[in-house]
Amino acid sequence: MKKRIILSLLVTSFLFADAEMDAIKEALQVQKEATLKLEAKLNTLEQKNTNQSASFSQNAYLPDMALILNMSTLSRNISNSDYTTSAIPGFIDSGEMNFPFNKDRGFNLNYAEFAMHSVVDPYFEAFANFHLHPEAFEIGEAYVQTTSLAYSLRIKAGKFKSSFGRMNQKHQHSWNFDSQALIYKALFGPDSISDAGVQLQWIAPIDTYLMFGTEAMQGTNGRSFGDSSSNNLYIGYVKSSVDIGDDLSILGGISYAHGKNTTSNATDIYGVDLTFREQLGSYSALIWQSEYLYRDMTLSDTKDKQAGFYSELIYQYNNNYSFGTRYDRITKNETDLSMYSGVDTDNLDRYTVKIDYKPFPMSRLRLSYTYDRSRIIVDERKNVSEVMLSLNIAAGAHGAHDY
Amino acid sequence: MKKILLLLLAFSTIVSASLRVETTYTTLGAITEEIGGDLVHVHVLGSSKYDPHFIVPKPSLLAKLRRADLLIMNGGGLELGWLPPLIRGANNAKIQNGAKGFLDISHFIPMIDVPTSVSRGFGDVHAQGNPHYSTDPHMVPLIAKAIAQKLEAIDSNNSRLYAKNLDIFLSKWKNYLKKFDIKMDECKDKKVVQYHELFNYFLKRYNYKSYGNIEPLPGIAPSSKHTIALINTINKNHIKNILQDVYHERKTSKFIASKTGAKVLLIPHDMGATGSKTLEEFYNTIAKNICK
Repeated sequence: MKKRIILSLLVTSFLFADAEMDAIKEALQVQKEATLKLEAKLNTLEQKNTNQSASFSQNAYLPDMALILNMSTLSRNISNSDYTTSAIPGFIDSGEMNFPFNKDRGFNLNYAEFAMHSVVDPYFEAFANFHLHPEAFEIGEAYVQTTSLAYSLRIKAGKFKSSFGRMNQKHQHSWNFDSQALIYKALFGPDSISDAGVQLQWIAPIDTYLMFGTEAMQGTNGRSFGDSSSNNLYIGYVKSSVDIGDDLSILGGISYAHGKNTTSNATDIYGVDLTFREQLGSYSALIWQSEYLYRDMTLSDTKDKQAGFYSELIYQYNNNYSFGTRYDRITKNETDLSMYSGVDTDNLDRYTVKIDYKPFPMSRLRLSYTYDRSRIIVDERKNVSEVMLSLNIAAGAHGAHDY
Repeated sequence: MKKILLLLLAFSTIVSASLRVETTYTTLGAITEEIGGDLVHVHVLGSSKYDPHFIVPKPSLLAKLRRADLLIMNGGGLELGWLPPLIRGANNAKIQNGAKGFLDISHFIPMIDVPTSVSRGFGDVHAQGNPHYSTDPHMVPLIAKAIAQKLEAIDSNNSRLYAKNLDIFLSKWKNYLKKFDIKMDECKDKKVVQYHELFNYFLKRYNYKSYGNIEPLPGIAPSSKHTIALINTINKNHIKNILQDVYHERKTSKFIASKTGAKVLLIPHDMGATGSKTLEEFYNTIAKNICK
């Protein structure tokens, strides 16, 4: 009996074990199926979520690019053919003047400029702007600039506009008037000091803005320099600025350029600039900007001393309208003026007034009137009167301008 | 004389010992001061008197940025028109975009009004969305956390202090928000128009509905045609509130008010715009003026 009981117990336990195993197997099978289902689901989801972007797309690294167009319509009291022969006595002889902007009565397309900016890597930024004139292609500027040098130093290299003075480094479309300041035109021509070279700038670690800069350039500008047998132009400047309250800021600078002219003799140019800006609101300001330039140029047989200044007052009324007036004057003209004998070459000056209308920050219409008393045209002192309407647009990714 | 010199010396070492932080706007500056305490020296680049899109890039700001250890910006395109030339001109490796001392707060904010397509034909729209998030007091904790995280990273010796300041500030702000939200619940008139879309984050938070803007397109001055259409909208929907900021002209909103009977409410867009000296005062002024 005992034996039987034990045996039956044993059998039942086996049977139970069998049943348990079946149950586990079944559960396992269910779980396996569920896992397979989940896996299948995951696979389809993964396929959906797979990044399908092009393997070699670099669109996100495209440089900032902008198209700048500048055009005008103008009327002038001098015929186009006479105007191209005009001279500024002592500075630019007849036939030697360049007219890249607003040359003709009637319509002018001055340029289409293609401007690019991009961060190169963690150490460099690159800038370029290509000037496309109706008859010429020009690399306006093309340079690299460091972003992360120690001691707040910055090096720029390539072709660039010198930071000499106040107006020199600005592009034509960001000038306050469409025409170049008379003294800049007389000393440097339309491109100002723009050359291949290197620049080093440093800002002092104090609360007041105090910047020192020095440049070495090729010196290809034939008006003041032009001896390009080797790099011959050296420039230095100091700029400083103070704020008086929230609204008034004053920026001043002194600049010096030393180079060799086409006669291989020395040219020295000294510049002083001063800008006051009183902010009258978010969109309204009064700006008074002046600059004085003095040139000492040794030629084969003469030592020329020439100087001049401009002073401009801009009243920005709101974000749409701005008014401005500028006075230009040659204050010193000690040079050989014998070729103009019998012609009055004193009191060379110019008056300009303008109204800007900006429907949007990217476009600008400008109406200006210029009365230019600095020209000799066909061997006669002739005053030039000019009324001009110009349009400038900057389309695309155009960076903000400096102060 | 000796005493003065010694004092000056002591003072200059104190100043140089602290971290120099530049923020683009005042609210960001105030939050940074809460987290940084005595460990940071905060300076604000853009006065809240002016349109935040058009801060004048004065050369004096270059001198500030040149010595900064950290630059905290709002982001979302708000500084696009003035900050890049300043960063470029300051020659400071620490605060270049991507460097350790550069912080764009908008990366920590759930941006609203992100356009699906952008063109300058739509006016001055921001491709990254509406950048005026700091008008919503519920954004303050997000901003504070981002700033604390950054301060801890660049000044790891004091990371505990920053974490502690953050905790204190967050609990203080939690209490403030509780009371603030109760106050805002009492505000029943939820219909407004605004000059520029400056207050969208605040309006969304407290279930306001904005029926239109005084400017026809972002950054474009009001036109008579658009103003007349807006007057019709206000009359049709019985809107009583015109939200005016401190820096735009007020002629148009006054004109609209005179034609519709709606009130012109002067709302600060940033701390200090209407004279507020603390964060609480700034948000209280928004609440008070919008609930008039």
